[in-house]
Amino acid sequence: MFSRTMKDKLFTAALRAALGLCLAVLAVLILAIIVAGAKAISFEFLFSPARDFGASGGIIYQITGTVLIGITASLLVLPFATSLAIYRADFVKSDRVKRMIDTSIYSLNGIPSIAYGLFGLIFFVNILGTGLSWFVGAIILALMMLPTVTLCAVAAMKSLPRGYRENGYALGLSRKDVVIRITLPQSLHGIVTGLMLGLARAVGETAPIMFIATAFSGVTLPGSFREPVSTLPTHILALAQQATNPDALANAWGASLTLVFLVFVLSALAFIARIRLSPLSERHT
Amino acid sequence: MLNSGAQIDCPQSPVKGRLFTAYITGSAWLSAGFAAIIFATLAVQSAPGIISAGGTFMSTSWLPSQGQYGMLPMIFGSVIVMMIAMVVALPVGVLAAIAISQIRSPKLRRAVKALLEALAGIPSIVYGLIGVSFLSVFVADIFDLQTGRVILTAGLLLSVMILPTILTLTEDAISDVPKAITQNAAALGLYRYEVFKDAVLPVAGPHIAGAALLALGRALGETMAVMLVIGSLDRLPDPIYNVLSSGQTITSKLGREVGESAFGSVHFSALIFASLILVTITLSLTIASQIIFSRRAKSSVGMRHV
Repeated sequence: MFSRTMKDKLFTAALRAALGLCLAVLAVLILAIIVAGAKAISFEFLFSPARDFGASGGIIYQITGTVLIGITASLLVLPFATSLAIYRADFVKSDRVKRMIDTSIYSLNGIPSIAYGLFGLIFFVNILGTGLSWFVGAIILALMMLPTVTLCAVAAMKSLPRGYRENGYALGLSRKDVVIRITLPQSLHGIVTGLMLGLARAVGETAPIMFIATAFSGVTLPGSFREPVSTLPTHILALAQQATNPDALANAWGASLTLVFLVFVLSALAFIARIRLSPLSERHT
Repeated sequence: MLNSGAQIDCPQSPVKGRLFTAYITGSAWLSAGFAAIIFATLAVQSAPGIISAGGTFMSTSWLPSQGQYGMLPMIFGSVIVMMIAMVVALPVGVLAAIAISQIRSPKLRRAVKALLEALAGIPSIVYGLIGVSFLSVFVADIFDLQTGRVILTAGLLLSVMILPTILTLTEDAISDVPKAITQNAAALGLYRYEVFKDAVLPVAGPHIAGAALLALGRALGETMAVMLVIGSLDRLPDPIYNVLSSGQTITSKLGREVGESAFGSVHFSALIFASLILVTITLSLTIASQIIFSRRAKSSVGMRHV
C-alpha cells in the first residue's frame, strides 16, 4: 500500500506532531495559569484574609493552612517511610517478604485520592470522633506521601555499594549502628528527594482532605488539633463552583498560580536535594 | 535484585538494639499494612448498604429518598471517560516518547522529558479550573451546546492529566532497550519506523502496556478535575454513545454526595460501596502493571547474558 520510504516519512511526521502537540499543550497551560493568575496576585492578595466568600480579599489563611498541613504530614510520614525502607533494605532476608512489601507500597500508591478521603472520614472523623480536623488531614496526606518517600528511600538504599555495610559489620558494628551510621546518612538524598516530591503532590491534593480537614469560610489559624483549616486547593474548588462570579474566578486563578508556584518550588528542592546530598559512593573526588 | 545486608548475620544486639529492631519492624509492618487497612475499612462500611439496598445497585436510577441506588450510570461514565482519555493520550504519549528517545543530545533529551513531566506537577484542582473556564467553553462553542460540562470535556481534560504517566514510563521502556538491538536493526538497513516496529516494540511492548495500565488506574481515580467538568448527571447518555451529554463518574459522584450523606445511613454505605468498586479496579490495575514490570526486569537481566 505504502512504500517503505513513505511509511518512514509518515512515522517521522507523526513523531514530530505528537511531541509538538505535547509541548504546545504544556505551554498553553502554563501561560494560562500565569496570565490569569498574575492579574489577581498582589502583595495585598497574598497577605490578607478572604472576604465575601473568597470573591474579594486574599488568601493568607489558605497559605498558612496549606503550609501547616504539609509540614505536619511530612513530619508524620518521615519515621514510617524510613522505617519501612530500612526494614526492607537491612532486615528482610526473604525475597518473598520483599515482594510483599513492594506490592503493598505500590498498592497504596494505586489507591485513588478520594478513597483516602473516605477512609479518613470513616475511621477518624466518625469512628474515632475527631470531627473536622486539620490534623486528621495531615495524617491522611502523610499516608498518601508514604509510597513516594519509601520508594525513593528504597532506591537510594539499593544503590548503596555492598561493601559499605559489609565493612560496617566487619568492624563489629551492630545492625542498629550500621543503620544509623551507614545506611541512613548514605541514603539521605533519597529520603529528602522523596519527601519533597511527596509534599509537592500532597499540597495540591483536594479530594483526600475536603471531607475531613477543611472548611470554606471564616477559617483563620487553628487554635487546636481539632479545628478545620482552609487550604489553597479547597479554596480553588469553592471558588471554581461559583464560576458565574468573575471576581471569585479571578481569585481562584490567583490561588492557582500561588499553588502551582509552591508545587514547582518543592519539585525544584527535590531536584537540588538529589544533587547536593549525593552519597559518598557517587561523589567524584 | 541486589541487596547487601541480606546474607550477613549480624551480632546479637543488646537491649537498645532490640528496642530499635522492634521499632523498625513494628512501624514497617504498620506502614505495609495501610493499603489493607484502607480496603478493609471501606469493605466493612459498605456492608450495610449491600444488605439493605444491594438489589438496586445494578439499575440506572439513583434516588436515595426512595431507596434506589442504581450505579450503572456512574460506572458507565467512569469507563467511557477513561476510554476517551486513553484513546487520545496513548497514541500521543507513545509517539511523543519515541520522539524524545530519538533526540541525540542527552542533555536536551533529559530537559524535554523533565519539562513535559511538569504536566504531572499541576494539581488536579487547577486542571479542573482550566476545564471550567476554558476547555468546557471551547467544547460548548465547537459543538454548539448549551453547556460544555459533558463527558467529552472530562475525557479530554483527563487525557492531558495521564499524558505524563504514559510519556515518562514509555520513554523509560524505550531507552531500556539494549543499544545492540536497535543498532543491529539500523545496521541491517531498516528504516526508523521498522526499527521501532520490529526491534524496539517487541522488547519494550510489555513495559508500555504496564504504563498504560497505570495510566488507566490514574484516569479512573481522578476526582477533582472530572467532578468540575462532567456535569454530574445520574443518567446514561441517550443514545448511549453520546459523549456530548452530561454524565457522572464514580469519583464525581463521591466528591459531590459524600458530604451530603449522613454517616451510617444506607445512602452513605452505598456511596462507600461505589468507592470499593473503584478501589478494587485501580488496585487490580496497579498490581497487574507491577507484575508486568517485574517480569520485564527479569527478562532484560537474562538478555545481558545472551
